[in-house]
Amino acid sequence: MSEVYEFLCIRCPKGCRLRVVVDGDDIAVTGYECLEGKKYGEEEVRNPKRMVTSTVRILGAKYPRLPVRTAEPVPKDRILDVIAALRGVVVRAPVRRGQVIVENVAGTGVDVIAERDMEAVG
Amino acid sequence: MAAAVRLAEKGYDVAIIERKEELGGILDQCIHDGFGTKIFGTALSGPEFAGSFMERVEKLGISVRLNAYVKSVDAGGGIKKITTVSPEGVDVIKTKSIIYAIGCRERHQFEIKMGGTRPAGVYTAGMVQRLVNLYGILPGRNILIVGGGDVGMIVARHLHLEGAESIMVVFPEEFFAGLPRNAQQCILDFGIPYRPRTIVKEIVGRERVEGAVLVRVDERWNPIPGTEEFYPCDTVVLSVGLIPYAKKLADLGAEIDPRTRGPAVNEFFETTVSGVFAAGNLVQIFDYVDDAVESAYLAAEGVEKFLRGDAKLEKRIIVKAGENVRSLTPHRIEWEDEKPVVAFLRPALEGRAWITVSDGDGQLLKKFFRQYVRPSTLERVEIPREILQDADEVVIDVRGL
Repeated sequence: MSEVYEFLCIRCPKGCRLRVVVDGDDIAVTGYECLEGKKYGEEEVRNPKRMVTSTVRILGAKYPRLPVRTAEPVPKDRILDVIAALRGVVVRAPVRRGQVIVENVAGTGVDVIAERDMEAVG
Repeated sequence: MAAAVRLAEKGYDVAIIERKEELGGILDQCIHDGFGTKIFGTALSGPEFAGSFMERVEKLGISVRLNAYVKSVDAGGGIKKITTVSPEGVDVIKTKSIIYAIGCRERHQFEIKMGGTRPAGVYTAGMVQRLVNLYGILPGRNILIVGGGDVGMIVARHLHLEGAESIMVVFPEEFFAGLPRNAQQCILDFGIPYRPRTIVKEIVGRERVEGAVLVRVDERWNPIPGTEEFYPCDTVVLSVGLIPYAKKLADLGAEIDPRTRGPAVNEFFETTVSGVFAAGNLVQIFDYVDDAVESAYLAAEGVEKFLRGDAKLEKRIIVKAGENVRSLTPHRIEWEDEKPVVAFLRPALEGRAWITVSDGDGQLLKKFFRQYVRPSTLERVEIPREILQDADEVVIDVRGL
Protein backbone atom coordinates (compact mmCIF):
# COMPACT_ATOMS: atom_id res chain seq x y z
CA MET A 1 0.00 0.00 0.00
CA SER A 2 1.59 3.26 -1.05
CA GLU A 3 0.51 6.75 -0.11
CA VAL A 4 0.72 9.74 -2.43
CA TYR A 5 1.28 13.34 -1.30
CA GLU A 6 1.39 16.54 -3.30
CA PHE A 7 3.36 19.58 -2.12
CA LEU A 8 4.44 22.91 -3.46
CA CYS A 9 8.16 23.26 -2.87
CA ILE A 10 8.88 26.37 -0.78
CA ARG A 11 12.68 26.39 -1.08
CA CYS A 12 12.79 29.02 -3.84
CA PRO A 13 10.32 31.30 -5.64
CA LYS A 14 9.91 28.80 -8.45
CA GLY A 15 7.48 26.68 -6.43
CA CYS A 16 7.83 23.24 -8.09
CA ARG A 17 4.83 20.98 -7.68
CA LEU A 18 6.16 17.88 -5.97
CA ARG A 19 4.54 14.44 -5.95
CA VAL A 20 5.78 12.15 -3.21
CA VAL A 21 4.98 8.45 -3.15
CA VAL A 22 5.60 6.67 0.16
CA ASP A 23 5.75 2.91 0.12
CA GLY A 24 6.88 1.59 3.49
CA ASP A 25 10.40 2.96 3.98
CA ASP A 26 10.72 4.01 0.35
CA ILE A 27 10.09 7.65 -0.49
CA ALA A 28 10.01 8.63 -4.16
CA VAL A 29 9.84 12.32 -5.04
CA THR A 30 9.04 13.54 -8.54
CA GLY A 31 8.35 16.97 -10.03
CA TYR A 32 11.40 18.72 -8.56
CA GLU A 33 13.88 20.63 -10.67
CA CYS A 34 16.77 20.64 -8.23
CA LEU A 35 18.02 18.56 -5.30
CA GLU A 36 16.68 21.06 -2.78
CA GLY A 37 13.22 20.11 -3.99
CA LYS A 38 13.91 16.41 -3.59
CA LYS A 39 15.11 17.02 0.00
CA TYR A 40 12.12 19.19 0.80
CA GLY A 41 9.72 16.53 -0.51
CA GLU A 42 11.33 13.86 1.67
CA GLU A 43 11.28 16.07 4.79
CA GLU A 44 7.68 17.04 4.21
CA VAL A 45 6.69 13.40 4.33
CA ARG A 46 8.98 12.29 7.17
CA ASN A 47 8.48 15.14 9.61
CA PRO A 48 6.68 18.23 8.33
CA LYS A 49 6.62 21.09 10.87
CA ARG A 50 4.92 24.44 10.98
CA MET A 51 4.92 27.49 13.21
CA VAL A 52 1.42 28.03 14.60
CA THR A 53 0.23 31.59 15.19
CA SER A 54 -3.08 32.52 16.76
CA THR A 55 -4.54 34.75 19.46
CA VAL A 56 -5.78 34.26 23.03
CA ARG A 57 -8.18 36.33 25.08
CA ILE A 58 -6.56 39.07 27.16
CA LEU A 59 -8.22 41.08 29.92
CA GLY A 60 -7.39 44.64 30.91
CA ALA A 61 -5.56 45.50 27.68
CA LYS A 62 -6.43 47.90 24.88
CA TYR A 63 -7.35 45.04 22.54
CA PRO A 64 -9.34 41.92 23.52
CA ARG A 65 -6.89 39.51 21.81
CA LEU A 66 -3.19 38.87 22.37
CA PRO A 67 -1.25 37.45 19.40
CA VAL A 68 0.72 34.32 20.29
CA ARG A 69 2.83 31.74 18.50
CA THR A 70 4.56 28.46 19.13
CA ALA A 71 8.15 29.13 20.21
CA GLU A 72 9.30 26.49 17.70
CA PRO A 73 7.61 24.81 14.74
CA VAL A 74 5.37 21.90 15.74
CA PRO A 75 4.52 18.78 13.71
CA LYS A 76 2.06 19.72 11.00
CA ASP A 77 -0.56 17.19 12.08
CA ARG A 78 -0.68 18.82 15.55
CA ILE A 79 -1.66 22.30 14.31
CA LEU A 80 -5.35 21.81 15.05
CA ASP A 81 -4.56 20.41 18.53
CA VAL A 82 -2.54 23.54 19.31
CA ILE A 83 -5.38 25.77 18.12
CA ALA A 84 -7.87 23.78 20.21
CA ALA A 85 -5.65 24.05 23.30
CA LEU A 86 -5.57 27.84 22.95
CA ARG A 87 -9.34 28.14 22.92
CA GLY A 88 -10.46 29.20 26.39
CA VAL A 89 -7.03 30.47 27.44
CA VAL A 90 -7.41 33.85 29.18
CA VAL A 91 -4.52 36.05 30.32
CA ARG A 92 -4.43 39.38 32.08
CA ALA A 93 -2.39 42.41 31.03
CA PRO A 94 0.40 43.38 31.34
CA VAL A 95 2.15 40.83 29.15
CA ARG A 96 5.70 41.04 27.78
CA ARG A 97 6.86 39.94 24.36
CA GLY A 98 8.29 36.41 24.55
CA GLN A 99 6.47 35.61 27.80
CA VAL A 100 5.29 31.98 27.98
CA ILE A 101 1.49 31.86 27.74
CA VAL A 102 0.97 28.08 27.57
CA GLU A 103 3.69 25.60 28.53
CA ASN A 104 4.09 22.41 26.52
CA VAL A 105 1.03 23.13 24.42
CA ALA A 106 -1.09 20.06 23.62
CA GLY A 107 1.79 17.86 24.78
CA THR A 108 4.00 18.87 21.86
CA GLY A 109 6.91 19.84 24.12
CA VAL A 110 6.74 23.35 22.67
CA ASP A 111 5.63 26.49 24.56
CA VAL A 112 3.28 29.13 23.24
CA ILE A 113 4.68 32.66 23.68
CA ALA A 114 3.30 36.20 23.44
CA GLU A 115 4.20 38.05 20.23
CA ARG A 116 4.02 41.52 21.76
CA ASP A 117 3.92 43.65 24.88
CA MET A 118 0.42 44.47 26.02
CA GLU A 119 0.14 47.13 28.70
CA ALA A 120 -2.55 47.13 31.36
CA VAL A 121 -5.08 49.90 30.79
CA GLY A 122 -7.70 51.55 33.02
CA MET B 1 10.79 53.58 12.68
CA ALA B 2 13.69 52.14 10.68
CA ALA B 3 14.52 55.52 9.16
CA ALA B 4 14.15 57.27 12.52
CA VAL B 5 16.42 54.76 14.24
CA ARG B 6 19.10 55.08 11.56
CA LEU B 7 19.05 58.90 11.75
CA ALA B 8 19.00 58.98 15.55
CA GLU B 9 22.01 56.64 15.57
CA LYS B 10 23.81 59.18 13.41
CA GLY B 11 23.00 61.86 16.00
CA TYR B 12 20.19 63.73 14.28
CA ASP B 13 17.19 65.13 16.13
CA VAL B 14 14.27 63.00 14.95
CA ALA B 15 10.56 62.90 15.70
CA ILE B 16 7.99 60.35 14.54
CA ILE B 17 4.45 61.52 13.87
CA GLU B 18 1.97 58.62 13.95
CA ARG B 19 -1.76 58.73 13.28
CA LYS B 20 -2.44 55.51 15.20
CA GLU B 21 -2.34 54.96 18.94
CA GLU B 22 0.87 52.95 18.69
CA LEU B 23 3.87 52.49 16.40
CA GLY B 24 4.31 49.56 14.03
CA GLY B 25 1.83 50.29 11.28
CA ILE B 26 0.14 47.28 9.75
CA LEU B 27 2.48 44.79 11.48
CA ASP B 28 0.29 44.64 14.60
CA GLN B 29 -2.31 42.62 12.71
CA CYS B 30 0.17 40.44 10.80
CA ILE B 31 0.48 37.84 13.54
CA HIS B 32 1.79 35.12 11.20
CA ASP B 33 5.52 34.37 11.06
CA GLY B 34 8.00 34.96 8.26
CA PHE B 35 9.12 38.54 8.91
CA GLY B 36 12.75 39.53 9.13
CA THR B 37 14.43 36.52 7.54
CA LYS B 38 16.90 38.83 5.76
CA ILE B 39 17.57 41.29 8.61
CA PHE B 40 17.48 39.04 11.67
CA GLY B 41 18.12 35.67 9.99
CA THR B 42 15.09 34.23 11.73
CA ALA B 43 11.38 34.25 11.02
CA LEU B 44 9.53 36.57 13.40
CA SER B 45 5.86 37.48 13.54
CA GLY B 46 4.75 40.98 12.55
CA PRO B 47 4.26 42.22 16.13
CA GLU B 48 7.67 40.83 17.12
CA PHE B 49 9.37 42.52 14.18
CA ALA B 50 7.67 45.83 15.02
CA GLY B 51 8.45 45.31 18.71
CA SER B 52 12.18 45.02 18.10
CA PHE B 53 12.14 48.40 16.34
CA MET B 54 9.94 49.98 19.03
CA GLU B 55 12.56 48.98 21.57
CA ARG B 56 15.26 50.74 19.56
CA VAL B 57 13.09 53.84 19.13
CA GLU B 58 12.64 53.97 22.88
CA LYS B 59 16.30 53.33 23.70
CA LEU B 60 17.44 56.11 21.37
CA GLY B 61 14.98 58.53 22.99
CA ILE B 62 13.29 59.40 19.70
CA SER B 63 10.36 61.76 20.20
CA VAL B 64 7.12 59.95 19.27
CA ARG B 65 3.82 61.76 18.79
CA LEU B 66 0.95 59.27 18.70
CA ASN B 67 -2.68 59.89 17.72
CA ALA B 68 -1.39 62.80 15.68
CA TYR B 69 -2.98 63.63 12.36
CA VAL B 70 -0.95 65.67 9.91
CA LYS B 71 -3.30 68.42 8.83
CA SER B 72 -1.01 70.26 6.48
CA VAL B 73 2.59 70.41 5.36
CA ASP B 74 4.45 73.37 3.97
CA ALA B 75 7.46 71.84 2.25
CA GLY B 76 8.31 74.80 0.06
CA GLY B 77 11.25 76.44 1.78
CA GLY B 78 14.42 75.35 3.57
CA ILE B 79 12.49 75.03 6.83
CA LYS B 80 9.43 72.82 6.42
CA LYS B 81 6.36 73.21 8.59
CA ILE B 82 4.14 70.30 9.64
CA THR B 83 0.83 71.13 11.33
CA THR B 84 -0.58 68.29 13.41
CA VAL B 85 -3.82 67.77 15.30
CA SER B 86 -3.76 65.44 18.28
CA PRO B 87 -5.51 65.11 21.66
CA GLU B 88 -2.96 67.69 22.90
CA GLY B 89 -4.25 70.20 20.36
CA VAL B 90 -2.78 71.79 17.25
CA ASP B 91 0.98 71.82 16.94
CA VAL B 92 3.42 73.12 14.36
CA ILE B 93 6.69 71.24 13.91
CA LYS B 94 9.56 72.84 12.04
CA THR B 95 12.05 70.60 10.34
CA LYS B 96 14.71 70.62 7.63
CA SER B 97 13.69 67.32 6.10
CA ILE B 98 10.72 64.94 6.09
CA ILE B 99 10.49 61.20 5.40
CA TYR B 100 7.00 60.02 4.50
CA ALA B 101 6.32 56.40 5.43
CA ILE B 102 2.54 56.27 5.27
CA GLY B 103 2.25 52.94 3.50
CA CYS B 104 -0.34 51.69 1.09
CA ARG B 105 -4.07 51.07 0.96
CA GLU B 106 -6.07 48.04 -0.15
CA ARG B 107 -7.92 48.03 -3.43
CA HIS B 108 -11.68 47.52 -3.07
CA GLN B 109 -14.58 46.13 -5.13
CA PHE B 110 -15.23 49.32 -7.06
CA GLU B 111 -11.70 49.27 -8.44
CA ILE B 112 -12.07 45.79 -9.94
CA LYS B 113 -15.42 46.30 -11.64
CA MET B 114 -17.35 43.97 -9.38
CA GLY B 115 -21.08 44.35 -9.94
CA GLY B 116 -24.18 43.56 -7.93
CA THR B 117 -25.70 44.94 -4.76
CA ARG B 118 -23.98 46.56 -1.78
CA PRO B 119 -24.97 44.42 1.19
CA ALA B 120 -23.20 44.08 4.53
CA GLY B 121 -20.52 41.38 4.61
CA VAL B 122 -18.02 42.67 2.05
CA TYR B 123 -14.59 43.29 3.56
CA THR B 124 -11.03 43.87 2.46
CA ALA B 125 -8.58 41.18 3.57
CA GLY B 126 -6.69 43.60 5.80
CA MET B 127 -9.88 44.59 7.58
CA VAL B 128 -10.68 40.92 8.23
CA GLN B 129 -7.16 40.34 9.51
CA ARG B 130 -7.66 43.22 11.95
CA LEU B 131 -11.07 41.98 13.13
CA VAL B 132 -9.86 38.42 13.67
CA ASN B 133 -6.41 39.07 15.12
CA LEU B 134 -7.00 42.13 17.31
CA TYR B 135 -10.65 41.82 18.24
CA GLY B 136 -11.33 38.07 17.92
CA ILE B 137 -14.33 38.71 15.66
CA LEU B 138 -15.12 36.33 12.81
CA PRO B 139 -16.72 38.39 10.03
CA GLY B 140 -18.87 35.47 8.85
CA ARG B 141 -19.17 31.70 8.57
CA ASN B 142 -19.21 30.89 4.87
CA ILE B 143 -16.54 32.94 3.24
CA LEU B 144 -15.59 33.68 -0.35
CA ILE B 145 -12.11 35.12 -0.76
CA VAL B 146 -11.50 37.05 -3.96
CA GLY B 147 -7.87 37.15 -5.08
CA GLY B 148 -4.93 34.78 -4.69
CA GLY B 149 -2.45 37.26 -3.27
CA ASP B 150 -0.48 36.83 -0.07
CA VAL B 151 -2.87 38.71 2.21
CA GLY B 152 -5.82 36.67 0.93
CA MET B 153 -4.05 33.36 1.50
CA ILE B 154 -2.88 34.31 4.99
CA VAL B 155 -6.38 35.46 5.92
CA ALA B 156 -7.82 32.19 4.55
CA ARG B 157 -5.62 30.23 6.95
CA HIS B 158 -6.59 32.38 9.94
CA LEU B 159 -10.30 32.08 9.12
CA HIS B 160 -9.97 28.32 8.68
CA LEU B 161 -8.19 27.90 12.02
CA GLU B 162 -10.42 30.32 13.90
CA GLY B 163 -13.65 28.57 13.01
CA ALA B 164 -15.06 29.53 9.61
CA GLU B 165 -17.38 26.80 8.30
CA SER B 166 -16.48 27.05 4.64
CA ILE B 167 -13.93 28.97 2.62
CA MET B 168 -13.48 29.26 -1.13
CA VAL B 169 -10.71 31.23 -2.83
CA VAL B 170 -11.16 32.43 -6.41
CA PHE B 171 -8.66 34.27 -8.60
CA PRO B 172 -8.23 34.98 -12.33
CA GLU B 173 -4.65 33.68 -12.60
CA GLU B 174 -3.78 30.06 -13.35
CA PHE B 175 -2.35 29.69 -9.86
CA PHE B 176 -2.06 31.78 -6.69
CA ALA B 177 -0.38 35.10 -7.45
CA GLY B 178 1.31 35.33 -4.05
CA LEU B 179 4.44 33.61 -2.79
CA PRO B 180 4.49 29.78 -3.21
CA ARG B 181 5.40 29.48 0.47
CA ASN B 182 2.02 30.98 1.36
CA ALA B 183 0.12 28.82 -1.15
CA GLN B 184 1.58 25.73 0.51
CA GLN B 185 1.41 26.76 4.17
CA CYS B 186 -1.91 28.59 4.08
CA ILE B 187 -4.03 26.86 1.45
CA LEU B 188 -2.68 23.43 0.45
CA ASP B 189 -1.74 22.42 4.03
CA PHE B 190 -5.38 22.69 5.07
CA GLY B 191 -7.02 21.59 1.84
CA ILE B 192 -8.85 24.91 1.50
CA PRO B 193 -10.72 24.79 -1.83
CA TYR B 194 -9.84 27.25 -4.58
CA ARG B 195 -10.81 27.96 -8.16
CA PRO B 196 -8.28 29.44 -10.56
CA ARG B 197 -9.36 31.39 -13.66
CA THR B 198 -12.48 32.52 -11.81
CA ILE B 199 -13.70 35.97 -10.87
CA VAL B 200 -16.75 37.42 -9.14
CA LYS B 201 -19.17 38.90 -11.65
CA GLU B 202 -21.50 40.25 -9.02
CA ILE B 203 -22.31 40.18 -5.35
CA VAL B 204 -25.83 39.02 -4.43
CA GLY B 205 -27.81 39.98 -1.31
CA ARG B 206 -30.07 42.71 -0.01
CA GLU B 207 -29.24 43.30 3.66
CA ARG B 208 -26.41 40.78 4.00
CA VAL B 209 -24.32 38.94 1.40
CA GLU B 210 -26.25 35.88 0.22
CA GLY B 211 -23.75 34.75 -2.35
CA ALA B 212 -21.85 35.74 -5.46
CA VAL B 213 -22.10 35.00 -9.14
CA LEU B 214 -18.80 33.46 -10.20
CA VAL B 215 -17.70 33.35 -13.80
CA ARG B 216 -14.78 31.58 -15.41
CA VAL B 217 -12.25 33.64 -17.35
CA ASP B 218 -9.85 32.85 -20.19
CA GLU B 219 -6.11 33.42 -20.16
CA ARG B 220 -6.64 37.12 -20.81
CA TRP B 221 -9.06 37.34 -17.88
CA ASN B 222 -12.07 37.81 -20.18
CA PRO B 223 -15.24 36.23 -18.76
CA ILE B 224 -16.41 33.13 -20.66
CA PRO B 225 -20.15 33.56 -21.38
CA GLY B 226 -22.38 30.78 -20.09
CA THR B 227 -20.03 29.79 -17.25
CA GLU B 228 -21.80 31.88 -14.60
CA GLU B 229 -22.55 30.03 -11.39
CA PHE B 230 -24.15 31.13 -8.12
CA TYR B 231 -21.97 30.45 -5.07
CA PRO B 232 -23.75 30.80 -1.71
CA CYS B 233 -21.81 32.56 1.08
CA ASP B 234 -22.39 35.18 3.77
CA THR B 235 -19.09 37.05 3.49
CA VAL B 236 -16.90 38.25 0.62
CA VAL B 237 -13.28 39.09 1.39
CA LEU B 238 -11.29 41.07 -1.15
CA SER B 239 -7.58 40.53 -1.54
CA VAL B 240 -7.10 42.31 -4.82
CA GLY B 241 -3.95 44.29 -4.43
CA LEU B 242 -2.32 47.18 -2.60
CA ILE B 243 -1.68 50.69 -3.85
CA PRO B 244 0.81 53.19 -2.38
CA TYR B 245 -0.99 55.96 -0.55
CA ALA B 246 0.66 58.75 -2.50
CA LYS B 247 -2.05 61.40 -2.35
CA LYS B 248 -0.35 63.37 0.41
CA LEU B 249 2.86 63.59 -1.61
CA ALA B 250 0.96 64.47 -4.79
CA ASP B 251 -0.63 67.33 -2.82
CA LEU B 252 2.88 68.64 -2.10
CA GLY B 253 3.59 68.63 -5.81
CA ALA B 254 5.69 65.45 -5.90
CA GLU B 255 5.75 63.59 -9.20
CA ILE B 256 3.86 60.27 -9.06
CA ASP B 257 4.91 57.25 -11.16
CA PRO B 258 1.85 55.74 -12.90
CA ARG B 259 3.42 52.26 -12.70
CA THR B 260 4.26 52.03 -9.00
CA ARG B 261 1.56 54.61 -8.21
CA GLY B 262 3.99 55.90 -5.62
CA PRO B 263 6.29 58.94 -5.79
CA ALA B 264 9.13 59.12 -8.32
CA VAL B 265 12.32 58.88 -6.25
CA ASN B 266 16.07 59.08 -6.65
CA GLU B 267 18.48 56.41 -5.40
CA PHE B 268 18.16 57.68 -1.82
CA PHE B 269 14.38 57.75 -1.98
CA GLU B 270 14.08 61.53 -2.25
CA THR B 271 10.91 62.62 -4.05
CA THR B 272 10.87 65.42 -6.62
CA VAL B 273 10.22 67.84 -3.73
CA SER B 274 13.63 68.82 -2.35
CA GLY B 275 14.28 67.42 1.14
CA VAL B 276 11.12 65.30 1.14
CA PHE B 277 11.80 61.57 1.14
CA ALA B 278 9.59 58.48 1.01
CA ALA B 279 10.11 54.91 2.21
CA GLY B 280 8.37 51.57 2.43
CA ASN B 281 5.11 50.60 0.77
CA LEU B 282 4.37 54.24 0.03
CA VAL B 283 7.02 54.02 -2.72
CA GLN B 284 6.13 50.60 -4.09
CA ILE B 285 4.67 47.42 -2.68
CA PHE B 286 7.48 45.43 -1.06
CA ASP B 287 6.96 41.66 -0.68
CA TYR B 288 9.38 41.45 2.23
CA VAL B 289 9.40 43.79 5.20
CA ASP B 290 13.20 43.53 5.12
CA ASP B 291 13.28 45.29 1.75
CA ALA B 292 10.90 47.97 3.02
CA VAL B 293 13.30 48.53 5.93
CA GLU B 294 16.21 48.80 3.51
CA SER B 295 14.35 51.53 1.63
CA ALA B 296 14.00 53.38 4.94
CA TYR B 297 17.73 53.02 5.68
CA LEU B 298 18.53 54.39 2.22
CA ALA B 299 16.12 57.28 2.80
CA ALA B 300 17.87 57.99 6.12
CA GLU B 301 21.22 58.12 4.31
CA GLY B 302 19.62 60.43 1.77
CA VAL B 303 18.45 62.78 4.51
CA GLU B 304 21.99 62.90 5.89
CA LYS B 305 23.41 63.69 2.45
CA PHE B 306 20.75 66.37 1.99
CA LEU B 307 21.44 67.99 5.38
CA ARG B 308 25.23 67.88 4.86
CA GLY B 309 24.80 69.38 1.39
CA ASP B 310 26.70 66.53 -0.29
CA ALA B 311 27.56 66.94 -3.95
CA LYS B 312 25.07 65.92 -6.57
CA LEU B 313 26.01 64.60 -10.00
CA GLU B 314 26.59 67.27 -12.63
CA LYS B 315 23.97 65.59 -14.72
CA ARG B 316 21.43 63.26 -13.25
CA ILE B 317 20.88 59.82 -14.77
CA ILE B 318 17.34 58.86 -15.73
CA VAL B 319 16.44 55.24 -14.91
CA LYS B 320 13.81 53.68 -17.15
CA ALA B 321 11.89 50.41 -16.97
CA GLY B 322 12.21 48.11 -19.98
CA GLU B 323 9.24 46.37 -21.53
CA ASN B 324 9.44 43.31 -19.26
CA VAL B 325 9.51 45.38 -16.08
CA ARG B 326 6.20 46.23 -14.42
CA SER B 327 7.57 48.70 -11.95
CA LEU B 328 10.95 50.02 -10.91
CA THR B 329 12.71 52.26 -8.42
CA PRO B 330 14.71 54.45 -8.40
CA HIS B 331 13.53 56.72 -11.20
CA ARG B 332 16.73 58.76 -11.32
CA ILE B 333 20.25 58.77 -9.92
CA GLU B 334 21.27 62.15 -8.54
CA TRP B 335 23.90 61.96 -5.84
CA GLU B 336 27.59 61.38 -5.92
CA ASP B 337 28.33 58.32 -3.85
CA GLU B 338 30.59 55.29 -3.73
CA LYS B 339 28.09 52.63 -2.84
CA PRO B 340 26.23 50.83 -5.63
CA VAL B 341 22.74 51.95 -6.58
CA VAL B 342 20.08 49.62 -5.16
CA ALA B 343 17.22 49.08 -7.60
CA PHE B 344 13.98 47.20 -6.93
CA LEU B 345 11.95 45.90 -9.86
CA ARG B 346 8.89 43.78 -10.46
CA PRO B 347 9.34 41.50 -13.51
CA ALA B 348 6.46 41.14 -15.97
CA LEU B 349 7.50 37.61 -16.98
CA GLU B 350 8.12 34.32 -15.27
CA GLY B 351 11.05 31.91 -15.55
CA ARG B 352 14.85 31.85 -15.82
CA ALA B 353 16.05 35.30 -16.75
CA TRP B 354 18.72 37.94 -16.99
CA ILE B 355 18.10 41.29 -15.38
CA THR B 356 19.87 43.70 -17.71
CA VAL B 357 21.17 47.23 -17.31
CA SER B 358 21.71 49.10 -20.60
CA ASP B 359 22.51 52.68 -21.51
CA GLY B 360 20.22 54.91 -23.56
CA ASP B 361 21.67 53.62 -26.83
CA GLY B 362 20.83 50.04 -25.93
CA GLN B 363 24.39 49.03 -25.07
CA LEU B 364 24.49 46.39 -22.32
CA LEU B 365 26.34 47.61 -19.20
CA LYS B 366 25.68 44.75 -16.80
CA LYS B 367 23.50 41.70 -16.38
CA PHE B 368 22.39 39.68 -13.38
CA PHE B 369 21.36 36.03 -13.67
CA ARG B 370 18.20 34.84 -11.92
CA GLN B 371 17.22 31.19 -11.64
CA TYR B 372 13.58 32.13 -11.51
CA VAL B 373 11.73 35.43 -11.65
CA ARG B 374 8.00 35.97 -11.32
CA PRO B 375 5.73 39.00 -10.99
CA SER B 376 4.90 38.16 -7.38
CA THR B 377 8.55 38.48 -6.31
CA LEU B 378 10.18 41.91 -6.24
CA GLU B 379 13.78 41.68 -7.47
CA ARG B 380 16.66 43.64 -5.99
CA VAL B 381 19.89 44.43 -7.85
CA GLU B 382 22.97 46.48 -6.96
CA ILE B 383 24.29 48.51 -9.85
CA PRO B 384 27.94 49.54 -9.48
CA ARG B 385 28.42 53.25 -10.05
CA GLU B 386 31.51 52.79 -12.27
CA ILE B 387 29.42 51.45 -15.16
CA LEU B 388 27.13 54.48 -15.04
CA GLN B 389 29.82 57.14 -15.50
CA ASP B 390 29.07 58.25 -19.05
CA ALA B 391 25.39 57.38 -19.12
CA ASP B 392 22.64 59.99 -18.96
CA GLU B 393 19.99 57.30 -19.14
CA VAL B 394 19.88 53.63 -18.14
CA VAL B 395 17.23 51.05 -18.95
CA ILE B 396 16.63 48.11 -16.62
CA ASP B 397 14.88 45.17 -18.24
CA VAL B 398 14.27 41.46 -17.79
CA ARG B 399 15.09 39.00 -20.56
CA GLY B 400 13.76 35.47 -20.45
CA LEU B 401 16.14 32.57 -21.07
